[in-house]
Amino acid sequence: MSRAASALAAVLLASAPAAAQQPQPQPLVIDLSNSVVSITTGFAGADLLLFGAFDGQGDLAVVVTGPRRNETVWQKQRVAGIWLNGQSMTFIDAPSFYRVAATAELTEMAPPEVLDRLQIGVERIPLPVAPGTARSASPETIEAFRAALIRNKQFDGLYGLAPAPATVVGGRLFRASIHLPGNVPTGTYQVETHLFQNRKLIASRATSLTVERAGFGDAVYRFAFDHSALYGLVAILLALMAGWTASLLFRRT
Amino acid sequence: MQIYLPIAELSVDVFYLLAIGGGVGLLSGLIGVGGGFLLTPLLIFLGIPPTIAVGTGSNQVVAASVSGALAHWRRGNVDLAMGAVLLAGGIVGSTLGVWMFRVLRALGQIDLVISLFYVVFLSAIGFLMLVESVRAWQRSRNPSAPRRKLHQHYLVHRLPLRMRFRRSKLYISALVPFGLGLIAGVLTAIMGVGGGFLMVPAMIYLVGMPTSVVVGTSLFQIIFVTANVTFLLAVGTHTVDLILAAVLMAGSVVGAQFGTRLGVKLRGEHLRALMGLLVLAVAARVAWTLVVTPDDPFFLAPVAS
Repeated sequence: MSRAASALAAVLLASAPAAAQQPQPQPLVIDLSNSVVSITTGFAGADLLLFGAFDGQGDLAVVVTGPRRNETVWQKQRVAGIWLNGQSMTFIDAPSFYRVAATAELTEMAPPEVLDRLQIGVERIPLPVAPGTARSASPETIEAFRAALIRNKQFDGLYGLAPAPATVVGGRLFRASIHLPGNVPTGTYQVETHLFQNRKLIASRATSLTVERAGFGDAVYRFAFDHSALYGLVAILLALMAGWTASLLFRRT
Repeated sequence: MQIYLPIAELSVDVFYLLAIGGGVGLLSGLIGVGGGFLLTPLLIFLGIPPTIAVGTGSNQVVAASVSGALAHWRRGNVDLAMGAVLLAGGIVGSTLGVWMFRVLRALGQIDLVISLFYVVFLSAIGFLMLVESVRAWQRSRNPSAPRRKLHQHYLVHRLPLRMRFRRSKLYISALVPFGLGLIAGVLTAIMGVGGGFLMVPAMIYLVGMPTSVVVGTSLFQIIFVTANVTFLLAVGTHTVDLILAAVLMAGSVVGAQFGTRLGVKLRGEHLRALMGLLVLAVAARVAWTLVVTPDDPFFLAPVAS
């Protein structure tokens, strides 16, 4: 809620001076190619296209953030020659997905404190640790685990390595393409677009995107979680039928 | 062609899955085991989370053991009384195993325990099978060597609660097959295997059952134990992926056909030696992942459902 409120505040603040003057075109308008991404049985990833218009001056950054959830990072330790799970640390409200697209280098667009506040750039996601963990671990350890969280997310293709290029067409239109991999988490995604001029935030626009399972896969998932006992019985029945069919085929040969 | 697995929440190439199912089916047709010991590690190597590999693996073993058990049933190679006692132990063991699975998962050590179980049990069984098949092969080349007795008497035959098992031609304590079923049941829940690779040698060497009824009886009870595990894991941990299971089963039905045809052409001790080598190879591969320094010592815990 507070994030949504702050995003809204940013939008209002940015547009307030413009509104006070005579009616003039909005400095930034955006839209998504699709507001719903359906994960069907054949899903192998999707490309999300964000496009919009601005008044031609300045640089743009687009941030796509997946649903937030707690993430636990484990560190393997070698004990008697075997690698086993040692220490673990839980980070609160880590974005399950995070990618940025920008028309220029982030540090050239805006001062670091603005980038920090808007959480633009993978190294600027706050990632606070769970209260229990923070007491027992040193800041260096927490930093190592935080870096490991980002590194693993990047390895899974869920966090971007570096901002993807966004292109400006004809001086007034822009487009940014964000890749959603096959293991993309389901839920509501926030898509925030920021316009900077002379290293100052001019306008921010937020929109949301829904990633959801659809079709047969969705039905199976719901079945598994909503009627798990029946699901278990169906799984057994399916196996019995497959085995029986196989034995019929055996007999014929 | 990619297929999205809704429970595992990732997409995998469907042809890899068909190949794995087919390969495991080939093996079950060839040797008469469920093939779970091979299936679960292969799924893990493919990137399926270990817990889902175990849950779905046990479901696939139900199918493999049904088809095998039916074939043995027609030939009268199932000892129902023995199967029932093994099963009683198996139900207790698998329920215990599912409980252990959940506790270990909560502690964050389930992956290690799955791997250790694989290394310990597979290397022991694989080694024993290899040694036995080499001895059998030597015996067949040297017919003058003394024949093995029908069965030998060990301490296990002096336990109370004796029962008569007609088809196995045995009068032994019911505690022996019950205990064996119990151990195999725990393995089923933790390793996602039927436990045939453990039970078959134990029934021959420990219980003293005639080899002809061993495989059919073991497959018979594996159906029920793996079905129990599938049900308990589907309800308790939501780790059975029906789409993954369906693709694997489709592959294994075809593979098993080729396996039986190939099996006719090979000799028993050759098959057991092959199986022993395969079991050892899987054990070595799993052991390697435990010992080798990981690329990144940090990893993300799978999101708890």
